[in-house]
Amino acid sequence: MTGNHKTPQAPSLETVHMSKSFGSLRALDDVSLRVASGSFHALLGENGAGKSTLVKCIMGFYQADAGQVLLDGCEALVHSPRDAHALGIGMVYQHFTLVPCLTAAENLVISRADAPMVIDWKKERQQLEAFMDAMPFRVRLDAQVSELSAGEKQKLEILKLLYLDQRFLILDEPTSVLTPAEADEVLGLLGDMAHRGEVTVLMISHKFREVKTFCDSFTVLRRGRFAGSGSAQAVSVSDLSQMMIGDAGLRPPATRTQAPPKGPALHLDKLSASDAEGRRVVSDVTLTVNAGEIVGIAGVSGNGQSALIELLSGQRKIDAGQITINGEDFQPTRRNFDRFKVFGLPEEPLRNAVVPRMTVAENIAFRSFDKPPAANRLGLLSPARIRQRGADLIARFNVHTSSPDAPIETLSGGNVQRAVLARELSGEVEVLIVANPCFGLDFASVSDIRRQIMEARNRGAAVLLVSEDLDEIFELADRIAVMSEGRITYLAPAAETDAIEVGKHVAGQHG
Amino acid sequence: MSLSTSFPRSRFRPDARTAAIIESIVIPLGALIASALIFSLFLLVLGKDPIRFFGLVWTGGIGSAFSFQNTLQRAAPLILTGLAFAVPARIGMTLLGAEGALVLGGFSSAVIAIPMVLGGWPVWIGLPVMALAAMAVGGAWVGIAGWLRHYRGVNETISSLLLTYIAVAIMNFLVEGVFRDPGSTNKASTMPLGADWRVGDIPGTSVHWGLAAGLVLAVLLWVLMERTTFGFAARIAGGNLRAAQAQGLPVGKLAVASCVIAGACAGLAGFFEVAAVHGQANASLAAKYGFTGILVAFLARQNPMAVVPVAILFGALAASGGLVQRRMDMPDATMLVLQGIIFVTLLVSETLYGRLPFLQATQSGDRT
Amino acid sequence: MSDAFFVVLMAMIGGAIRVSTPFLFVALGETLTEKSGRINLGLEGNLVLGAMVAYATSYSTGNPWAGVLAAGVAGTVLSAGHGWICKLPKVNDIAVGIAFMNLGTGLAFFFGKPFIQPTAPRLDAIALGGWSSNPQVRQALMVNPLFFVGLGLAVFLWWMLKNTRWGLVVRMTGDSAASARAMGVSVDLVRLLATASGGFLAGIGGAFLSLYYPGSWNESLSSGQGLMAVALVIFARWNPLRCVWAALLFGATGALGPALQSIGISKGYYFFNAAPYILTLIIMILSARSKAASREAPGELSIVK
Repeated sequence: MTGNHKTPQAPSLETVHMSKSFGSLRALDDVSLRVASGSFHALLGENGAGKSTLVKCIMGFYQADAGQVLLDGCEALVHSPRDAHALGIGMVYQHFTLVPCLTAAENLVISRADAPMVIDWKKERQQLEAFMDAMPFRVRLDAQVSELSAGEKQKLEILKLLYLDQRFLILDEPTSVLTPAEADEVLGLLGDMAHRGEVTVLMISHKFREVKTFCDSFTVLRRGRFAGSGSAQAVSVSDLSQMMIGDAGLRPPATRTQAPPKGPALHLDKLSASDAEGRRVVSDVTLTVNAGEIVGIAGVSGNGQSALIELLSGQRKIDAGQITINGEDFQPTRRNFDRFKVFGLPEEPLRNAVVPRMTVAENIAFRSFDKPPAANRLGLLSPARIRQRGADLIARFNVHTSSPDAPIETLSGGNVQRAVLARELSGEVEVLIVANPCFGLDFASVSDIRRQIMEARNRGAAVLLVSEDLDEIFELADRIAVMSEGRITYLAPAAETDAIEVGKHVAGQHG
Repeated sequence: MSLSTSFPRSRFRPDARTAAIIESIVIPLGALIASALIFSLFLLVLGKDPIRFFGLVWTGGIGSAFSFQNTLQRAAPLILTGLAFAVPARIGMTLLGAEGALVLGGFSSAVIAIPMVLGGWPVWIGLPVMALAAMAVGGAWVGIAGWLRHYRGVNETISSLLLTYIAVAIMNFLVEGVFRDPGSTNKASTMPLGADWRVGDIPGTSVHWGLAAGLVLAVLLWVLMERTTFGFAARIAGGNLRAAQAQGLPVGKLAVASCVIAGACAGLAGFFEVAAVHGQANASLAAKYGFTGILVAFLARQNPMAVVPVAILFGALAASGGLVQRRMDMPDATMLVLQGIIFVTLLVSETLYGRLPFLQATQSGDRT
Repeated sequence: MSDAFFVVLMAMIGGAIRVSTPFLFVALGETLTEKSGRINLGLEGNLVLGAMVAYATSYSTGNPWAGVLAAGVAGTVLSAGHGWICKLPKVNDIAVGIAFMNLGTGLAFFFGKPFIQPTAPRLDAIALGGWSSNPQVRQALMVNPLFFVGLGLAVFLWWMLKNTRWGLVVRMTGDSAASARAMGVSVDLVRLLATASGGFLAGIGGAFLSLYYPGSWNESLSSGQGLMAVALVIFARWNPLRCVWAALLFGATGALGPALQSIGISKGYYFFNAAPYILTLIIMILSARSKAASREAPGELSIVK
């Protein structure tokens, strides 16, 4: 690794007619992808377009039902990630795989299959320094990974692959955790390496700006199929989004009716909050959601949207600012949730909204168990009434369960979310807080759940919707905001903007 | 139950609620049987006769009216300490503080009795005051662990155990010092309560009223956990803290309140140890009822009502200990070994929930 | 007055070394276990069982060092059981620890009955105070070789965790099971081995109790040292070297009561007995939510979450 003369050749990679199904879902349908040696190739597509499935097939996490992988033109048999590594194919995941308590040097050495029993740190250090010298960027070898910034961690993930002599790099949205400046630095350096013929890079992304700035070529997937490819420099942003979105929606969108205008309902005034380490995650967010309106907040995850939802649901402390509803101060307590008729559909319902081991009927009763008719004045519950009400709502909201007494953990994701909808939307709703309500759900559930949210709006609720899915935002929202690095950076009526404009702001191009 | 394989599936298809009930009976019972078998093997290796052993447990624990009353007598504190573990467990806390609350509670009731006895107070006021003092002190003591957990992030298992050791040391310190009765020569103790200041037996039996208190509390706490808004909220918080927060539930208060209830139960057990058994407070209060209660609660699956029969079972083991010791020439720790084996087997059996083949068919059938 | 102070000081130094040794062994064992991402509250059981097995073995073989080894083996077996059960799904490692504490204690009392009366050969101390004519100094510097073994082990563990493949694998498993699995490490196996080795050390800690100080076998030999050691590990932030200092501090606190008693102050004896527990609790309160502790805590540990 010390001599530059011995730099391994960057390989080319192709997938040929690759298909993969999960049950009835056809996740990949006859996808062919070609990444030339020494190129920086972007793989684009909406959520669920099949990008992850494709790279997981390449990496050997999944076995494709049909099709092959060609490495430098020869068929490569990859049955496990280990095979992929042996062939020189490595992947950087969306979430870090480094061990936080180990130092950078320790992470690198232990990742080697031939790590020695007793490590001679002096020798290893020399070799690591020499390796780092040959690299376009470096990371402090002695730093504990948990102390590194996100950008440094991402660099270290990439360095790890290079250290292991993997020259075909797959990056899964590598910049989603980085600041724009960090992202530009890392991608720029990778691009330089590719152009020197040292590596070949396949990057999953949905940031057009990065693709246009750093990539040579691209492939777009849509609903598991190939939707286009070409030169990243030649293609226009609007063509790219056209390929990604397609003829928008086979599914009938939820019907929007003219809701009775009632003026502002939910108002956020200069809200700020910090994470456990004291870093600002929400800064000065001011936003009004009117009654009978859905305001959709778009953005890449990790830009403060989850924290904003936590502020509204009482899971996180407000550092500064105020929430008002109909002009009155709102503190997120149970009494106020009831008083102002505030309801919520948190993201990842199994983690945020239900108790997995309690029954479906009990989970449906979370909002109502302490009020008549479920409980009397003395606080005594009536399980029969809870069960009856659960059964009624299960039928009304079409929750598929063997019985109201089944633990909710036995239900499918879509049905868990329907049960939460049944709990939160069965009464009169004035304010509804929604976060990624359809993430990971099947097609039928998605349209069902979006319709219910729209109906709540049509009945006059003020709905705040946070979603990483631009489709969802455009289908539901009356006004669209973009959140980036904890701030609202863009706000426009849905009728006066389009996916390209919003996408630009999501990708961090302000103004 | 393996019959279900020889019949078409539809013949045996319990709904989810029945399946859960069957599981919560079959699995602990199976674990009990398995531990009896393991213990029998242990005895065989030592050259002892397991059949004789279990026969003696029967004779000494349940066989006669006398022995059964002895069993119930020993079950009384176990019911209370079992409840002391079960209630906070429902909110997701593993508390080992019952022993400390029992010791301090019992001690407090013995101490508060002194001025009342000397002041000639009527007993019908004095005893309830003693009981309340025991519950208040026990509740406050375990409440500390709950508070530390929720507001300071201190692991409640270790802190409650440390509080137990501290409680025993405090009691020893005070019994040896300020509150030592000059008459107690062998074993430092507080002033003995006269016969009229003692809690008597339930009429017609030789079992003290602590058993009745345990039964009443078991029912009350079952109602509290299963049939009140408090219990429902506690179960939400115990099952998923984030969901409880998102529902605006006061999770901190729920946690501390559960701990206070637990400590009060254990403190009450201490009161009965003082007022019904020893007549004074001394080192005998630390008789490990608090620790056996943990096992009782585990076997009862943290269900307050189920605590009662399980406590009686362990009461029977304790009651027959002497007989086994004498007749089979075995050390008194025999019962500790049996308890340890039951405990370990029981925890291993936890892995079977939701995986019993004859029940699983219905549960996975829910998926769509 | 200054004479009395000197006596107390010497008694505390000697006491700290004596009392700290079992703490040190249990704490090192627990450090190794927790570094692999699992908590073992059952080491109290190892301590008591180890004490009994060591005493019985020393009595039957006449060789106290055979007793030390046997104690370690008993501890290994007990903790291997813990490690095996904890890998089953839906099993709570804290509860399993409590169960093994009960089982270990029960087994020790059961088999230990016949050994309460007889006197077994004890471990000899090394007299390091020969240079002094002062009897208190000589008394304080009678140091058991196991103390030095413990010191050596602490250094070795510290070195091993940093400089060997096994050490890095243990730390990786404890910090991020997902990363370990991604590298093809068997997380369950690593944790089983770490827990069993930790149990070996805790067993030796028990041997010290029965074979040196207090130096006999009875049922009230241990009073929660095994559990305090768990808290001590948090205080020492999972660093074997810091475990030494923490153990000495705990030892000194534990020696406070007997030291004061040695000059005739016996009034607060029971209160001073509580000192180590109170110290532990205070330390836990101070170190919970401390940033340093949370940074160094193994990420997979249930107890710090």
